[in-house]
Amino acid sequence: MKVFSSTCDFDYSWEEVSTANWRKYCPWNDKATHVVGVDTLSRTIDPSTGILRTERLITCNQSAPQWVVTLLGGSTTSHVYEVSYVDPVSKKVTMCSNNLTWSNVLNVRETVTYQPSSSATTQFTQEAKITALCGGWQKIKNKVEEASVERFKENAIIGREGFETVLEMSRRVFGEQRDLEKQKL
Amino acid sequence: MAASIAPECNEIKERYDTCFLKWYSEKYLRGNTTSNECEELFTKYKKCLNKVLKERGIDTMLEDARKSSSETDSEFLRKS
Repeated sequence: MKVFSSTCDFDYSWEEVSTANWRKYCPWNDKATHVVGVDTLSRTIDPSTGILRTERLITCNQSAPQWVVTLLGGSTTSHVYEVSYVDPVSKKVTMCSNNLTWSNVLNVRETVTYQPSSSATTQFTQEAKITALCGGWQKIKNKVEEASVERFKENAIIGREGFETVLEMSRRVFGEQRDLEKQKL
Repeated sequence: MAASIAPECNEIKERYDTCFLKWYSEKYLRGNTTSNECEELFTKYKKCLNKVLKERGIDTMLEDARKSSSETDSEFLRKS
């Protein structure tokens, strides 16, 4: 198993970040064109804690290296299952995801959290545990895990840039909506 | 908002997502965690989506994945 982790701060309040997070993969995000579908499967609120639990199916069209595509059977469409928890009291978003495709060869478990680091900033943490399961040589397993971690590193930077754009657009659109409502009053 | 994997569900998905986002930012984050005004739209969207998930065999993959979500549930559905 190999672990990849990263952390960063966004200059937006937790309320803004946790709202924009629901549209992280919208057309505003030109850095996430590999995400071709985001479908909500279920959504419930725990009556005793108020925690919002959401299940989503994320579909990607990943441009993987040719040797990976060959190894994994030639398909580039992959699905990810994500369960997220929003705790409105402690102000914490936790998102846990797991790959559904190629899960017999590679297990990728990712946990992302968003928590306020001040009233105007939000801390993002990301941890991915990658395990190659394919039987056979340890050498190959290591190579698969290393390639996956590399990919995670690259994507983490791109992911942050894309989300910044979504945050900026969300702030602008919400601001415009507020102005419009004020004018109506 | 992002698209659905099923193009035929896009329209109802868009309506549901818009409803949810409004509810989330205006009610849920302000402490009103009980209302479920988007439920009707969600039911329609799920009906459309579930048909496609079944056709493509994704529903069985999800069943397996759900088994492991009880772990994260017990960790993150607690009062903190």
